[in-house]
Parts: sequence; structure tokens; C-alpha cells
Amino acid sequence: MIEIKNVTKKYGNKKALDNVSFNVNEGEIFAFIGHNGAGKTTLIKAITGIHDFDEGDILINGKSIKNDTIECKKDMAFVPDNPELYENMTAINFINFICDMYEVSLEERKKNIDKYAKMFEMEDKLGDTIKSFSHGMKQKIAIISALSHDPKILIMDEPFVGLDPKAVFDIKEVMHEMIKDGKTIFFSTHILDVAEKLCSRVAIIKNGKLVKVGSMKDIKGDKSLENVFLELEE
Amino acid sequence: MKKIISLIKATMTDNMDIFKIKNTNGKRTILPIILAIICMFSVGSYANMIIEPLTSIKSEYTLLSLFTIVTFFLTLVEGIYKSSNLLFNCKDDNLLLSLPIKRRTVLFIRIFKFYVFELLYNSLFLLPAMTVYAINVKVSISYYIVSLFMLLLLPIIPIVISCLIGGIISSTSSKFKFKNMAQVIVTTLLLLVIFYFSFNMENILSNFTNNASHINSVITSLYYPSNAYVKMVTNFKIIDLLLFIVINILIFIIGIYIMSIRYFKINSSVKEEKSISKKKNYNIKVNSPKVALVKKELNRFFNTPVFMINAGFGLVLFIIGIISICFKFDSITKSLIVEGNISLDEIQSYIPIILYGFVCFTSFMTSISSSMISLDGKSFNILKSLPIKSTIIIMSKVVTSVLIMVPIILLGDIIMFIRFSFNIMEILMIIIGSIILPLVSETIGILVNLKYPKMDAENDTEVVKQSMSSMISVFIGMALSFITIFVLVMLLNVGTSNILVLILSNLFYMIIFSLLLLYLNKYGSKDFNRINV
Repeated sequence: MIEIKNVTKKYGNKKALDNVSFNVNEGEIFAFIGHNGAGKTTLIKAITGIHDFDEGDILINGKSIKNDTIECKKDMAFVPDNPELYENMTAINFINFICDMYEVSLEERKKNIDKYAKMFEMEDKLGDTIKSFSHGMKQKIAIISALSHDPKILIMDEPFVGLDPKAVFDIKEVMHEMIKDGKTIFFSTHILDVAEKLCSRVAIIKNGKLVKVGSMKDIKGDKSLENVFLELEE
Repeated sequence: MKKIISLIKATMTDNMDIFKIKNTNGKRTILPIILAIICMFSVGSYANMIIEPLTSIKSEYTLLSLFTIVTFFLTLVEGIYKSSNLLFNCKDDNLLLSLPIKRRTVLFIRIFKFYVFELLYNSLFLLPAMTVYAINVKVSISYYIVSLFMLLLLPIIPIVISCLIGGIISSTSSKFKFKNMAQVIVTTLLLLVIFYFSFNMENILSNFTNNASHINSVITSLYYPSNAYVKMVTNFKIIDLLLFIVINILIFIIGIYIMSIRYFKINSSVKEEKSISKKKNYNIKVNSPKVALVKKELNRFFNTPVFMINAGFGLVLFIIGIISICFKFDSITKSLIVEGNISLDEIQSYIPIILYGFVCFTSFMTSISSSMISLDGKSFNILKSLPIKSTIIIMSKVVTSVLIMVPIILLGDIIMFIRFSFNIMEILMIIIGSIILPLVSETIGILVNLKYPKMDAENDTEVVKQSMSSMISVFIGMALSFITIFVLVMLLNVGTSNILVLILSNLFYMIIFSLLLLYLNKYGSKDFNRINV
């Protein structure tokens, strides 16, 4: 579970995140939406321990990302919005590198790599260097490497960008599968239809401030998520 | 024209922020300017030393011809290092090539950007020499006009040559399966050839004051800009200046024209990455996080030609130097015995200290780690998201650098141990030095890189050759190696034994290394976390 408690992050005098608080519960798919520059990536980077924040705290399964960074990171996997991977590595070496970092056993990594490489139709590409890949293929490798260590919490920043329809479908399947196992998924997206159909809860951020958080049903009521979002933006 | 100016502005703002360097605290630093002043002051002092004896024989203009040729070689070497990356590995290819501008304009902008960098680089050497000349010789206003044009136009010929060579290297290496390795080998061979010629030129220039007029005539007959400069300084004619400007501009235009014929074909073949694997049977190995991190860094190093050439060239020169000492020892000692009133035994007794000094110089001048954080670029966030302590990540970069350097340095040591007689303590101390000195150098490199990261570089050359971090590391390395060698010589002069000198130096650097590690443990993580990509 992720507990975000009064998090504030400043860039100079500008508050990128302003006293943001909400929880993401175990076993739920949580969508985080907002306009460009609203603070989505900043919060995601704070949760994953990539960026520090100025005030508040973030707890990952009860542990503070500020004080117990390594233990928190062990529970998480992160898929960035722009897959800037190690271009000179082959895909398999990159995934293997990530598995080494999470100390995944040989059997487990073999099982997971086989499963997800097959699912994302990347089996024949694993021996190629990443720099020869398209954006979508890099994104698939980032997702496979994130899933290869079987994380308790999966955090994704715009995971569907650049993916082909089959890969988008597969990710959704993986998400459902993970939820069945009691895992947590938190992701940002601009594709509101997907968020609406996939997620049990949602948070909307605007100019660094949280404007709505709750169950999908409560937030949208009779309207579509798109309408709710556009109304809030006005 | 308006389009070109806008394009130059747009492409340069990204690159020319060297004078707006900010450290990890986000504070602006004036360090680049201070470093430039130190460098220019040192070059100026050197020029002043050279001009003194020349004044007595009324050949002051030799200083100018000498500095133009030295700058030519420096720019050429720098250009060969940089050109293949600056011209062929640009991230803005898709953006620029999709704009409604001629392809030749894109090439012009890239070469122009290259020219501006080399102009700044040239100024570090030429401006002090020109100033020293103006102080020592009564010059007229025409001297300043000519010198200004010389400063602006001198980089053109070496840039055009290095761009053409860079094109040939990239074109040749792109045909090989292992094109990075091919690029490294071809570039290294070429640089060795240039170094060989410049060293031979140094031999020609050895009896400098006695042969000043002869040297001047050799340089001016070999290199047209030197000839033109001396001619215009000693006997100014406007027609010579105009001719010089026209010739240089023509060379620039012809160079761009020749390059443009093949440039875009080479550019696309360099970027082409062929799929090599169709098999499902890949090798999965389990490594500890530390080993995996080192392997990742090694992969980065061996797949980055400019990084390999930059770091490896000093090490190659080290081995060549060692082999030269071994083979030419007898002839060197003969001349020293004849000229210097020194016995063979005495010379041989200094060998361990000479080797140690050589190891020290190579270690401090080869800073691999000073680029390692910057080279992670946008993928730095992968490291930051890993469940690994940042000090381990930082140290993995130091260990990788040391793993690259130490075997080559030890190889040089072994060659010397076989050729000359060392006692067991000397061997032990030199081996310890060959490990501790690279460790100190690389730890300094990584600390500097943590303070001055460049995570948004357009290509690897910008990080390896043009970043603040690599420049500061080179300056620190230079200062440390000169101070160490000076202290070693001083200790020998007061009668300290070889072994004691080596023990003292090793002890000193062990203490320094421990202090650096303490600093790294205390502040390294903070700097690491402060780097935002």
C-alpha cells in the first residue's frame, strides 16, 4: 500500500506538489490523472525515490521512502514515461541487469522473462541492442524488466504511450492478473477511457494540488471521467 | 539567412551553456572562467619564456609561427576526437531534417557549432601568445587587426581536415560488424601517427634559439597560415589579409561541399542498427548487484568510442613510452652520460622513481570516472529507482575505471621489471602505487562528476570532451601529477632512498584515498540524489 502524506515539492519558489495526500490501497488499480505539467511525474518520481521532496512523507507498505529507501524500492517496480534505457545493452542483458539488482533467482527470472517476452512478442528481439528498438519496443522492454522481479507495487508513468493495441491489451491483462494476487498498481495516464474502465480509484491533480480523489464511481457519478476532468480543468 | 541565424541560436543555446554551468545545488559557478584564466596565464608564461631568447636574436615572430602550428596540431587532434560524434551522432537529426531547410544547411550548422568550440579552445593558446608578442615587440594597429582575423580563421583548416577524417573514420567503421571497436582502432592509429609527427617536430625544434630562423622557415613553408601570419605581422599589406580571408572561407565552403556529398549517407549508416538475433536461446546469468553494476559500466565504456579513445589513448601512450624507454634506454643514457656528467649506475638507480612518476602522470591524466555519471544521461533515473545504496552505485563506477586502468599500468610495470633490475620492495611499492594512484584519481573524478553532472548532453563527445567535470578533472590531475613528481624529485635531492620515497608517496595517497572515501560516504549520496533528470 502507498500512503502519500502532505507531500510538497518545490522547484525554486514554484510548488510542483502542494500538500498532496492520498492512499493507494493493496489490491487496487489506481489512476492518477492531470493536465501536462500538473505534477504527475513529479509525484511518481517522489514515490519511487528518484526525487526528494521538501515536506511530508510517503510510506510504501508502512516504510518511509525517505528513511527506508532501499527497503521501499525492493517492493516496487517503475516504468518511466519515456523509456531511456541503456541503449548499448542487449534487451536480455538489460532485463538481466534489473533482475540482478533485485536479486531475483535464476529460476524465477527465467520463468518471468519467458512469460512476459512471449506475451509482448519480444522473444526474438531479446538478443538485439536496445538502441535498435522503436519507442514501443523500448517501452515493452521497460515493462518486461519491471515485471521480471515480480513487484508488490507497480508504478507506471504513461504506460500506454507508443504501444501497439495488442501490447496495451496485454498490459491490461497483466494488471488484472496482478490485482488478483493482491498487488497494487498506480499509474498516470491521459487516456481517460482506459482509466475509467480499468481502475477502481482515481486521483486528479491540477497545478500541483490534489483536486479529487476517491473511487471511480464516486468521482464520475453519472458522467464520464472525461467530462469530470474537463469540468475541473475549466 | 534569418533561418540560419535562428537555427544557430537554437542549436547553440543547448551547447554553449558552458559559461552558465551550475553545480548540483543549482548555483551558478564561475569556475570555467577561472580555469580558462589559469590556462591562459600558464600558456602566457610559457610564451614569455620562449620570446625572451628570441628577442636577443630579433626573431620574435617565430613565437607566432610556433604557436599557430602547435594550435593547429591541438585542434586537429581535438577535432578528430570530436568530429565523428559531433557530426554523426546528433540527437536532433529527426528534428532538423524534417525542417524546410537544405540538407547542406544542417551540415553547415553542425560544422559551425564545431568551429565555435574550436575557436574558444584555440583562443586559450593563441590569445596569450599574441598578447606576449604585443608586449615584447612594438606593434602597430595592423598587428591587432591581423591577429583578430588569425584568431577567427585559424581553426578553419584543422576543422575541415578533422571533419573529413571523422567522416572517413565513421564511414569505414560503419561497414564493420563491430563498428565501435573499428572506430576506436582507426582513430587511435591516426592519433598515434599525428603524435609521432608532432614529437618528431619537437626534435626539430629542440635547438630552438640556435635555429630560430630555420625553424620559422620550416613551419612557414609547411603551414600556410603560419606563413601568412608572420608575413602580415612583419610587413602588413591589406591584399595579403584579404587573400588570407578569402582562402580560408573558400576552404570552409569547399570542405562543407565535399562533406555534404557523402555526409547524410554516412550519417544514416552510422545510426543503422542491424537485428542480429533470431534465436530464443539467450544466456541468463545471475550476478550480485555489485558485479552487475560493474558489468553495466564496462558495457557502457566498451560501447562508447569517444570514451574509449579519450581514456585509452593515455594508457596506450603509457605502454608506448615504457617500450620506448626499454628499447632506447642505451642511446638515451649514452647522451646523458656524455652531456650530463652522470654515471650509468646513477641513471639506473632513478628508474623506479621514473616509473613511479610515469604511473602517477598516467593515472592522474586518465580520468575515466569524471564522465561516468554524465554518460548515464536520461537513464540515470533507472539507477535512482534501484534498491541499491547510492554509494555502491558510485563506487561501482570507480571500480570499473580502476579495472580498466590498472591492468594496463601493471603491464607497463611488468615490462619495466623484466627490462631493469628492481629490488622486491621497489616492485611491491610500484605495484601498490599502480593501484592506489588510479583509485585516488578515479575517486576524485567521480566526486567532480557528482558536483558537475551534465545529464542533458546531445552526444557522448559533449560529456567526455566538453563537460565541466572532465575539464576540472584534467586540471586537478595535471596539478596533482606535477606536484607529486616535483615532491619525488625534491625528496631524492635531499638524499632520501628510493624505497622511502615510494613508501612515503604511497602512504600519502592512501591517506588521501581514505579521506576521499570518507567524503564520498558523507556527501556522495546527497550529491547523487540531488541530480535531477
